[in-house]
Amino acid sequence: MSTDLDLFLANVSLISLLAIIGISLYGILARPNIIKKIIALTIFTDAANLLAILVGFRRPPSAPPVLLNLQPSPSEIAEFSSTAVDPLPQALVLTAVVIGMAVNMLIIFIALQLYRLYGTLDVRKVRRLRG
Amino acid sequence: MEVTYLLLALAMLFALIATYLAIVEKHLVKAVVFSAIQSIAFTLALYLLRAPDIVLVYLPITVGIYPAAILFLIKKTEEVEQP
Amino acid sequence: MKRELITALSLTATVLVVAYISTLGGGLGPLFSDTRPLAKVFLSTTLDPNKPMFTAMSPEGVTAIVWDYRGLDTLFETAVFYLAIIGAVAVYRDVSEKVVLKGGGVGLSKIVKLVTKLLIPMNIAIAISIALHGHLTPGGGFQAGAAMAVVPMILIVVFSRYFLLEVKISKGLALALRSIGLIGIAFTVFLPIIIALISGVNSYIMQNQVKFGAPFSFPAFFGDSLISGSLILYNLFELLAVTFGFSILFLLLSIEESLVKEQMGGEGSEH
Repeated sequence: MSTDLDLFLANVSLISLLAIIGISLYGILARPNIIKKIIALTIFTDAANLLAILVGFRRPPSAPPVLLNLQPSPSEIAEFSSTAVDPLPQALVLTAVVIGMAVNMLIIFIALQLYRLYGTLDVRKVRRLRG
Repeated sequence: MEVTYLLLALAMLFALIATYLAIVEKHLVKAVVFSAIQSIAFTLALYLLRAPDIVLVYLPITVGIYPAAILFLIKKTEEVEQP
Repeated sequence: MKRELITALSLTATVLVVAYISTLGGGLGPLFSDTRPLAKVFLSTTLDPNKPMFTAMSPEGVTAIVWDYRGLDTLFETAVFYLAIIGAVAVYRDVSEKVVLKGGGVGLSKIVKLVTKLLIPMNIAIAISIALHGHLTPGGGFQAGAAMAVVPMILIVVFSRYFLLEVKISKGLALALRSIGLIGIAFTVFLPIIIALISGVNSYIMQNQVKFGAPFSFPAFFGDSLISGSLILYNLFELLAVTFGFSILFLLLSIEESLVKEQMGGEGSEH
């Protein structure tokens, strides 16, 4: 019974994550303002990263992938590798967050330049202007 | 029942509501604030998923640097999304 | 606003119903009680002095993967970071940041300035300690860089942009310090090759500890304390690169728009 409840709660979190991905895709595709598109894009990136972390999770009791003892014995190492969560998705997401932020800053600068040249951030008007 | 899963589900539902409000909000400054609230809920979820490294990198980036950059952009351009 | 709240709540209810139905059908949620075999390999070798050929000599699994096991991934991610920032700087290519001191910037009120003065040194100390302990506790170069990049942002918002010019933090200085960080990373990448060529043994690019057929190794201990070989160097240089990369962007983003338009002049009409 308690496993069923756990499964329900885990399903709630997974499905709301998928719903967040859907809503942010709607924001990227359908909203006309470029700033709104950037906000939706960052939410989409964050949701994708969180999904990667969720795949590497393991059922509690589990621990972060950090060994607490600096002089570990073989039994401690075996216990560590049987309780810690998967560190590989965390390592990939770690770089993806920082690099994604730098790329978002590049998009922000390009949006600023677009506003300087066209005087608007509405993609419909920019499309009509034709340079 | 595992407390981790309960808090995780609550954080994700909170993030869902914040995301929806951020996408439909017409005033862009309010949309950025809702986006920051969604980031805080995600930070709680990351902490519950045993990822302290990601918490350390995610919190300053998405609650500090990124809203500030967007606010600079909004200050230099326009505040309200045209319908 | 009320209509949007009702929609949000009905969205939540939909999620709950769908989750309940999928639970009845067996569920699709993440309830793994075990990790993949690859994760087992990483976790069991991240700090194991008895397996010198495989270990990264760092108790922190994530930093060990970022800079040792999958170091080349991170190296090329850093290259993407470099190119993204160069692209943003290219947008501002003709804008010099000489700012006319029109009575100096005012910034926020005195109370905010005092609190900021107290908090900024703490922030810097925390960021540096995250970088220096990155191979022992959760943390590392990227995390420390993100924590440190908040400092110039707060300084610009609270003390205004003119303050940063007064303490001589300009775009050129930030670019130079960031280049020092990137050159340091590249130097640490090629250091094993250089030392191995001099002493006549084999080694790999980005090698940290001893590998089969390549007896080169960075020292894992400095005195009594664990420094995990090259990981501490990578963390420090990445701290420099990330901090000053974001600092350049904030310095550029905070230039007043009227000044930019003045300097770009008639160039805008040509596009």
